[in-house]
Amino acid sequence: MARILLADDTLFMRATLKKVLSDAGFDIVGEAENGKLAVERYEELKPDLVMLDITMPVKTGLEALEEIMKLDPNATVIMCTAIGQERVVAQALQTGAKDYIIKPFKPDKVVDAVNKAISRS
Amino acid sequence: MKVEFINPFVVAGIDVLKTIIGSKPQQGQLAVRSATFTTQQLSIVIGITGGIEGQVVYGLSLVTATKIAAAMSLVPTMAFDEFASSAISELGNMISGHATTLLSEAGYDSAITPPALIRGADIEISTATPGLVVPLYTDFGKIEINVALEESDKEIGSDLHSKATASFQ
Repeated sequence: MARILLADDTLFMRATLKKVLSDAGFDIVGEAENGKLAVERYEELKPDLVMLDITMPVKTGLEALEEIMKLDPNATVIMCTAIGQERVVAQALQTGAKDYIIKPFKPDKVVDAVNKAISRS
Repeated sequence: MKVEFINPFVVAGIDVLKTIIGSKPQQGQLAVRSATFTTQQLSIVIGITGGIEGQVVYGLSLVTATKIAAAMSLVPTMAFDEFASSAISELGNMISGHATTLLSEAGYDSAITPPALIRGADIEISTATPGLVVPLYTDFGKIEINVALEESDKEIGSDLHSKATASFQ
């Protein structure tokens, strides 16, 4: 069962992703409310996958992504964000994100993306 | 302020609310707003930085917010508690995120700050400049989109989102 870390600054989004992914059989091993905590929890928990928001206080998801990929070039990260600018999507994918989901999302799209990313890792 | 700066927020607001509520909100009359104005019962404040700069303030009543939060939630929710507050903050984030995508397509690259939620009617808010306001009428009530944005001459770099977060600290 894949172990997932959720990083989003809103309680609502973390709870929503937790419900969607837990119902799909994944194990939510940790949560982070900003990019700095996302990197720290990644180091501590070594999850199979990270769901990572971009707009967060302290450190953005893009900065956290860069640090996570430096810590672990094999990390599996899916961006889950309201930001859909082409430049930002390209930057995230070039930095190493495996997929990019734009909010609001349909729950089955998130599950499909996670399954795909896990199967390719 | 250019009228074209508010249009992306209106389009994004309609799209996001239609996805959440299931019916398309109706757009009300555009009006000019002074730099200082008083709030509705709930206000979501988001900073915009980059090619254009300023603030967006979404105003709505507690009743409307509670209904929207319930529609957003995968679990039943009745009261306007911490979870519902968080859902409404996320609503502001989603509308603003989509709006910056539209602004980017129009040539104005920008980033958003994390949302701040203010609770309390008739609180005085001041934005950097006068702005424009458009109400959206949903099945759950009215949401006002207040936009006060000006073009900036700052350079747009790949660290745009980091600077937005830094400006929020």
